[in-house]
Amino acid sequence: MPNLKDIKRRIRSVKNTQQITKAMKLVAASKLRRAQKAIQDARPYALKLRDVLNHISARCNPDLHALLDQRDGKNILVMVVTADKGLCGGFNGNIIRRSAKLIAENQDKNLSLVLAGKKGKDYFKHRSTDITHEFIDWTREFNYAKAQEIGDLLAQLYIDKKADKIFMVYNEFKSVMQQEVIVEQVLPVVPEPLDAAKETDHVPEYIYEPDEESILDALLKRYMTVQMYRAFLESSASEQGARMTAMDNASRNAGDMIDALSLTYNKARQAYITKELIEIVNGAEALKA
Amino acid sequence: MADFLHLSLVTPEKQLVGEDVDQVNVPGSEGDLGILLGHAPLITNLRPGPLSYEKGGATTSFIVSGGYLEVTDNRVIILAESAEFLHEVDRERAEKAKSKAEAILLKTGISEEEFKDAQDDLFRAVARLEHTEK
Repeated sequence: MPNLKDIKRRIRSVKNTQQITKAMKLVAASKLRRAQKAIQDARPYALKLRDVLNHISARCNPDLHALLDQRDGKNILVMVVTADKGLCGGFNGNIIRRSAKLIAENQDKNLSLVLAGKKGKDYFKHRSTDITHEFIDWTREFNYAKAQEIGDLLAQLYIDKKADKIFMVYNEFKSVMQQEVIVEQVLPVVPEPLDAAKETDHVPEYIYEPDEESILDALLKRYMTVQMYRAFLESSASEQGARMTAMDNASRNAGDMIDALSLTYNKARQAYITKELIEIVNGAEALKA
Repeated sequence: MADFLHLSLVTPEKQLVGEDVDQVNVPGSEGDLGILLGHAPLITNLRPGPLSYEKGGATTSFIVSGGYLEVTDNRVIILAESAEFLHEVDRERAEKAKSKAEAILLKTGISEEEFKDAQDDLFRAVARLEHTEK
C-alpha cells in the first residue's frame, strides 16, 4: 500500500510545478500579444518590398547585381533559427529535425551553418557540420539594427563566394496554436515569374530615378534586412505561441495528475482508518475474551 | 481602369495608409513628384522630407525619412524607412538629433561611414524641423 506521506509529498510537488507552468503560460501569453502585433505590423512592408523587388528583378538583367547571380556552387549555407529557451513543445525539435533533414539531403555538398538561438547551437555543436556564425541570445536584444547586421553578413558571405546558396529554416507564425516550419532560399534572390499576360497588358518599362542599378542595390540590401527581420519576428511570435500551448497542456496534465493522486491519497487514508478500526475492535474483542 | 490611385504607405513597423486617394506628393531623390491618376510606371528612391496625399480636397501630411516609391497601374507603394504624421513629429527630439549630428560632423578624423551616418541623421532631423515650423 502506498505510503500516505509519500503521496502527500508528491501532490505538493506536482502543485508547485503546476504553479510554475501556469505562470509561464501567462508570461508567454503576454509576450505573445506583443510579438504577434510586431509580426502583423511588419508583414505588409516585407510583402510589398518583395513585390517591388520582384517587379524589378524579373525585368532586369540578373548580371546587374551580385545577389541576383545564380551559380551552381557546392557551398551551401543553412541558417537555422531556433529559440534560446526550451519548454515550448515541439518548437525547437521541429526546426532541428527539418534542418537535419536538409543537411542529410545535401550530404555531397559543402555545408556550413549559421545558427541563431541557443537550442540550435546545443544540438549542432556536437555534430561535425561546420558552424560559421552563431547568434546566441538574439531574442532578447533583437531589433532592426540586429537584423541588418545578420542580413549584411549573409550578403557578404554570398558576394565573397563563401556560399553559393543560402537557406533559412525558421518557424512561421500561423496562429497561436500553429507554427509551420519554413525552408526558404534567401540567396540568390529568385524572382517569381510574372504572369505573362498581365505583364504585357499593363506594365511597360519602368522609369527609374536615379537609375536601375543603384535602386536595385539599395532595394536588395533592404530586402535582406527585412527578410531577416521578418523571419526573426515570425520565429519569436511562434515561440511564444508554442510555449503558451505547451504550458497550457502542462498545467492541465498537472491538474489531472493532482486529481489522480488525491484519489489515491483518499483511498489510502480510508484504508488506513479502516485498518485501524479493525485493529481496535479486534483488540477490544481480545480483551473481552 | 480604376478611378483612384491606391496608396499604400508602409514602414517596417507598420502599415500607415492603405486607401484610395486623388494625388500623392513625394520627395523623390531627384526632386519632388506629384503623382496623379494614370502615372507611368516608376520606381524611385525617396529622400527624407515631407510626403502628403490628397483625398476629396483634404490633405494629409507625413514626414518620411527615405525609402522607395513604386507606381504601377494606379497603385502607389511607398516603402518608407520610417514615417510619422506631421502633427506627431517630436521637434525636441529632432533638435537634439540635429545638434548631435552637427557635433559629429564638426569633429575631425571620423571615418567615412561615421560621416555618412551623421549626415543622414542630420538630413532627417532637418527635414523634420523644416516642415513643422509653423
